Amino acid sequence: MIPIALKQIIAFTKRDFQSWSSYKTTAITQFINIFIGVFSWGVRASYVQRTVTEMYGSDYISFLIVGVAIGNLILPLVQGVERRLNPWTLETILMTNLNTSVFVIGNVMWNYLFSIITFIPYLVIGILVFGAQLNVNITATVLAFIISAAILMGLAMLSSGLRIVTKSTDPITWAINVLQNLLSGIAFPVVYLDTIFFPGVSMFSWLLPQTWVYHLCRLSMLTNPNLLDPLIAVQYLKGLAFAIILFPVGYKIFQWGVNRAKREGTLGHY
Amino acid sequence: MVKSLKGIKGPFLEALSDLDLEVQEGEIFGILGPNGAGKTTLIKILCTLVLHDEGEAYVRGYDVRKEPGKVLTNLQAVLPGSRGFTWRLSGRQNLEFYSLLYGLDDDIAKERIDYLLELTGLLNRADDDYQRYSTGMQRKLLLCRGLLRDTPIILFDEPTTGLDPGSAAEFRSLITDRLVAEEGKTVLMSTHNLSEAQEMCDRIAIMDRGKITACDTPNRIRYEMIDENQFNISLHETAFTSKHEVMLDQIQEIPGINGVTPSIDPTEGLQGLTFRVDKNMDLSNILEVLLRNDLSIKAMNTSEPTLEDAFIAITGNRPAVPRRRFRH
Repeated sequence: MIPIALKQIIAFTKRDFQSWSSYKTTAITQFINIFIGVFSWGVRASYVQRTVTEMYGSDYISFLIVGVAIGNLILPLVQGVERRLNPWTLETILMTNLNTSVFVIGNVMWNYLFSIITFIPYLVIGILVFGAQLNVNITATVLAFIISAAILMGLAMLSSGLRIVTKSTDPITWAINVLQNLLSGIAFPVVYLDTIFFPGVSMFSWLLPQTWVYHLCRLSMLTNPNLLDPLIAVQYLKGLAFAIILFPVGYKIFQWGVNRAKREGTLGHY
Repeated sequence: MVKSLKGIKGPFLEALSDLDLEVQEGEIFGILGPNGAGKTTLIKILCTLVLHDEGEAYVRGYDVRKEPGKVLTNLQAVLPGSRGFTWRLSGRQNLEFYSLLYGLDDDIAKERIDYLLELTGLLNRADDDYQRYSTGMQRKLLLCRGLLRDTPIILFDEPTTGLDPGSAAEFRSLITDRLVAEEGKTVLMSTHNLSEAQEMCDRIAIMDRGKITACDTPNRIRYEMIDENQFNISLHETAFTSKHEVMLDQIQEIPGINGVTPSIDPTEGLQGLTFRVDKNMDLSNILEVLLRNDLSIKAMNTSEPTLEDAFIAITGNRPAVPRRRFRH
């Protein structure tokens, strides 16, 4: 017997997949984008090839390929709900009395699955064409993905809750996304910021939830970490702390946004 | 039931103000009012999409603010603006999706969807993409979704707006004949269409600026709000002369006449007269004057006040005619 919440999440995923697959041109161009994207990053990485001695001890191409693949996972998750929020959909869904978490997870699930699917060509092309070398610990990777999903869904709910009130891009998510490019270390290890700017700057990077998503995924896929090693465990616990804080905060903010819009009568407004 | 409802206080005005209303089980209750009267706000409060500031609102005993989940198991709304359907999925697939969100078991959902598609006449187009549906079919699919949970109360916001006359009549018949007469549901609907309200509703409330200004059966409202009838006389053509002008002055002085308007064609002369008369007036007094002035009557009739007359009198959208006090 499948729990109803799971059936509802599957229903969202099925709906989004069916809708996505009916736009054949879009689907084809999305796959082309993946290949073009991975090749363009790969060529760039090959050009500046060096060892990332600062943090993961990997070669640069492996560091970058994992980073870009994870980056493709982050954006759809954070924006998944926000993009689907329009007045008529929200009102209709709220009238079904659907659980908020199911609503959020359901709305991002297809994007998440699609991003994981696109993850594979990134890694395969990275390894076969550009010689990326992964050093994966499966358990640590699964754990990193779970913590990342919780962090990102927390952000998604936070972003959606604010969006329901502001009716436009909310300032917090905007700031987090803008700072991500500079501080999260998509294309460079965050400690390099201390060298470029001044010592201690990288400390701010660790305040961004996305930094932990990139860090844990790279840790698990590039360094084959031993989770029982206290130094490694602390890294995962810090990431987990972000997830434990962000998920309920995001949930509360989403509820707050909905209730405030209901009080102001603006739920159906743009 | 709604008691002393206030809300919501928007940035510029208060949408509802001290509103009291009680809808009986099994009736079709209409809410009429000009744009901005607060009809949609009231409906959205009842379906938990808007939180009111003060007062109480209950649906079958459940407080809409404190027990929204229980309210929504008793009431669903068909809001034309709230589509939420996926364009590239079929009508059936869209309903299957929502049946899961409503938490229906697969078997019950399948049976219910088939029943509703048959009820609304969409069965043979059920597997077509939603985007291929006409406006009337889209509205019917909205109704199917609203009925998925089989709640005893259904709210409609402007149910036939945007439909062609045939589709509108079919939709009205669905509501009155199937939902209410056969299934015993309670319907609360807002509408701008006064003849629709008169035809469908057991009772209506007229709202104006967030308040209910009249609440009763459509017939009582139109008879009690308007003290006048209209008396129309068609005449065999005759030239309009000064003698007729004097006659009109005499007619104005007859007790019970509130106004008279001649219908004069520049080439064919006096063609008819329209009188605003008290409901209980003896009309033979008018006929006597006309016959005395050698006018030949072709046809005559009285027209009773329409709901539109009452609506206009209450909301003051046109110069109001005298009206009585009205009980809620």
